[in-house]
Amino acid sequence: MTATAEPVAQVVSGLKSGPFHDRLVAHNRQQAWMNWMGYASPSVLDSVEFEYFAIRNQSTLFDISPMCKYAITGPDAEAVLNRLVTRDIRKLKPGRVAYCIWLDEDGQVVDDGTVFRLSETEFRLCCQEPQLSWLEDIAWGFDVSISDVTRDIAGLALQGPTSCALLKDLGLAGIETLKTFGIAEFAIGGADVTISRTGFTGDLGYELWIAPADALTIWDALMGAGKLRGLRVIGYEALDMARIEAGFLLPKVDFLSAQTVLRPDRANTPYELGLEWLVTLDKPHFNGRRALLDLSGQTPPRKLVAIEIERDKPAHNALVYHKKSREVGMVTSALWSPTCKRNIAYAWLDAPYGQSVTTDLWVEIYLQKEIRWQRRMARCHPASRPFFSHPRRTATPPADY
Amino acid sequence: MSARYDAIIIGAGHNGLVAAAMLARKGRKVLVLEARDHLGGMLGDADFRVAPLPYALRPEIIRSLGLPAQLMGTSKPVETISFNPDGPSVTVLGARTIGLAPEVAQTYATLRARLGRQAKALGVMMLEPPPGLGKASLGEMTGLARMALKMRLLGKTEMRDLLRIILSNVWDLLNDEIGDGPLAGALAMDATLGGAMGPRSPGTVLTLLYRMASHSAHGHGLRVMPEGGPDALVKALSDCVTAAGGEIRTGTPVEKILVDQDKTAGVRLQSGEEIAAPLVLSNVSPKTTLMTLLGVEHLDGEFVRRCRNMASKGMVSRLDFDIAQAPTLGSGSTLQNGQRLMIAPGMHAIETAFNAAKYGDLPERPVLEASYDAAANRLCVSAQFTPHDLTGGWTDDVKARLSASVLAVLEDALPGLSSAVTASRVMSPVDIETGYGAAGGHWHHGELRVDQLLMLRPFDGAAQYRMPVAGLYLCGAGAHPGGDISGAPGFNAARAALRDGRN
Ligand SMILES: Cc1cc2nc3c(=O)[nH]c(=O)nc-3n(C[C@H](O)[C@H](O)[C@H](O)COP(=O)(O)OP(=O)(O)OC[C@H]3O[C@@H](n4cnc5c(N)ncnc54)[C@H](O)[C@@H]3O)c2cc1C
Repeated sequence: MTATAEPVAQVVSGLKSGPFHDRLVAHNRQQAWMNWMGYASPSVLDSVEFEYFAIRNQSTLFDISPMCKYAITGPDAEAVLNRLVTRDIRKLKPGRVAYCIWLDEDGQVVDDGTVFRLSETEFRLCCQEPQLSWLEDIAWGFDVSISDVTRDIAGLALQGPTSCALLKDLGLAGIETLKTFGIAEFAIGGADVTISRTGFTGDLGYELWIAPADALTIWDALMGAGKLRGLRVIGYEALDMARIEAGFLLPKVDFLSAQTVLRPDRANTPYELGLEWLVTLDKPHFNGRRALLDLSGQTPPRKLVAIEIERDKPAHNALVYHKKSREVGMVTSALWSPTCKRNIAYAWLDAPYGQSVTTDLWVEIYLQKEIRWQRRMARCHPASRPFFSHPRRTATPPADY
Repeated sequence: MSARYDAIIIGAGHNGLVAAAMLARKGRKVLVLEARDHLGGMLGDADFRVAPLPYALRPEIIRSLGLPAQLMGTSKPVETISFNPDGPSVTVLGARTIGLAPEVAQTYATLRARLGRQAKALGVMMLEPPPGLGKASLGEMTGLARMALKMRLLGKTEMRDLLRIILSNVWDLLNDEIGDGPLAGALAMDATLGGAMGPRSPGTVLTLLYRMASHSAHGHGLRVMPEGGPDALVKALSDCVTAAGGEIRTGTPVEKILVDQDKTAGVRLQSGEEIAAPLVLSNVSPKTTLMTLLGVEHLDGEFVRRCRNMASKGMVSRLDFDIAQAPTLGSGSTLQNGQRLMIAPGMHAIETAFNAAKYGDLPERPVLEASYDAAANRLCVSAQFTPHDLTGGWTDDVKARLSASVLAVLEDALPGLSSAVTASRVMSPVDIETGYGAAGGHWHHGELRVDQLLMLRPFDGAAQYRMPVAGLYLCGAGAHPGGDISGAPGFNAARAALRDGRN
């Protein structure tokens, strides 16, 4: 018998091809696409393990073009951002980036993201969820212009220990002096690229911001230079492992945006999310400040805590118990961390568990062995976030590895 | 910063004066700042009075401020004459009518008595701060509880009837009970006057009851012109402020409410002068107070959105016609000083006039409330359904056109009027907005609509007079219970501020 069928071309129904799609298609052996803001985005290209270890040991490319991006410019741009986010944006200098959260009037988190200060009067906001109408509300009455530049800027995350060396190989003079959360302008293969030393992996890494027309030129240059640096294209799943280790929360997974919840008690305050370090209460009014002021004196009714679990089975979707009997919470993200060699997770724990009561906590892990479910009780302990952060993340200049 | 006060009241409208008097009488050092050169706000300009018929000042306020009792007590309740193009006009005074067939008059009297009882139950809430949404304190609930009790006391049938009609429209109610015509027209005018609603709009039974909830020494829902007219009322109020040690400055527009550490710190005048006070009560409409005087940067985005979306499209223009003597009705009698003449021959005419306004046009035949001011030799007319957002804008030509069409309508009821007019003036909703800081030029500083009443007045999250910046209060018609010359918002706001000050 002979096989006559030609391979059928993959139909990515309803999804838009991003600026790097042609190259991603070529690399995507699994053809495992997911929908990220309407773009076809790879969840895995080859194998999760290879991709994950490349993040930690070599360097990786991840297409972040689908991320929502907004340009906020004008004389009042600083005031608008300062009204939006809980940090004091007046302290953010041009050429710097800050990780921020923003709240609704009840002090519940709407979304998180990064604020890029490109100049005194020009900012860019990068985030997961569409925010245009929210931004328009926040900016109403201010002398500022806001535009959605999501589709106008292509983005690539270049992360991993050899990422700086790779960029140096490309002749990016001075890249090694770029500090964490710094922004600088370069050219690669004749195309302009804005590079920020930011990322989602808790390791050395950069994000490259490019005009969509130059996307493939820059991709090819990076891939060319990356051959000797172990560069690998990765998908979402490997990145998700790295972000759990790095202590980053994911909207829709670890918490819900205050704007999307149907039940009023499902939204979360920064205190519940353990993000109080992002809140500056003694700055001019920002959205949700008064509600937060009230909440700041109270014990949160529940808290998202990082936990470490004994034994080695990842605790996906596990329930958490006190003294093995009283149900006190649930796990949102979980992972056997290959780098930390620890079983880690984030879990919502009802007060006082995880706050004043931190002992005798157990997770109930379900394991399937040949269509038989087994239940394991494993002890867990609150841990500090992040689980993984390498000194080279902030070292300037970073070593070549 | 110059002198320091315990409280500054922005605007010397009648509500601002009531609030100032309340605070001053409690020993607070009070300063009232008024942009215009006269006191009393829309009630106060003797040359061109926006609100010529100030009937609704609450007796409780008169008592509480120790105003002379005869101010609202001694003069006779005034009649409303509703013009009937097809026969004799109908005269209405409370439940009494002249010019109707006896059966209709009887049916009306019964209806009026029922509505009166319901309005009275509703009226309990007028001098109570609205309860908070969700987290009302026990004290705040007493007003609601008393209203609920009053409603229960109406008896099962009447309470059920109230709940049935309260959100419905006067068109259906009146058609069912008395049929269309000049009587229905007069009632429907009361239900819709000042609002962007026609008789067929839902919620107009509620606005009718709101007007009928007014209260005087003569009872509920009757209209009483103050002894000495509007100016006497304004003078009594301002005298009350100054007698208690309060200061009033006219011709001093406030430009900005000053905020320090999220608390009210005082105001800055247009002249640049800054005056300190930890408490500021604004008599200016909510939108203008919050968006312009305070500034959105002090407010949460959602709060600002709700404020921006607050319905406050003004619908009424004021026209004055100078005439040497009292205008004569078709019947031969003359219009008395302060008497109300309604030219809205039926609900149909009102709804038709509203149709044009809905789409930004002037009605061909506006419906009118007119009164004769004998002292000034002037016919004062409120022309309903002349929208703030008029297509093409309020040019002089348009005003002249409106004036002509109003005069044409008046001529039917007051034959010979046109030739007696020696001068006339027109004030559009836009003029009212620019002249008084009332957003949209709205009669009530914001539409009296179910979604903008009680704990939703002026809008969700801004009820109970206190604004998000500590020490700032709304004390004008935009706040609960709303517009007309009742003094209730000013009274309630001052009490809220005093109560907070005690804590
Ligand atoms: C055309 C029309 C006809 C009406 N007719 C009647 C009627 O016959 N009977 C009746 O009961 N009601 C009538 N009303 C309604 C009534 O006029 C209002 O409900 C009432 O005036 C509200 O009183 P107030 O004190 O809250 O505000 P206002 O009377 O509007 O007073 C607000 C005051 O604030 C001042 N102000 C504004 N901005 C500033 C600033 N920046 N600094 C300092 N001062 C400022 C204004 O100059 C004004 O004096 C009418 C309304 C309109 C529009």
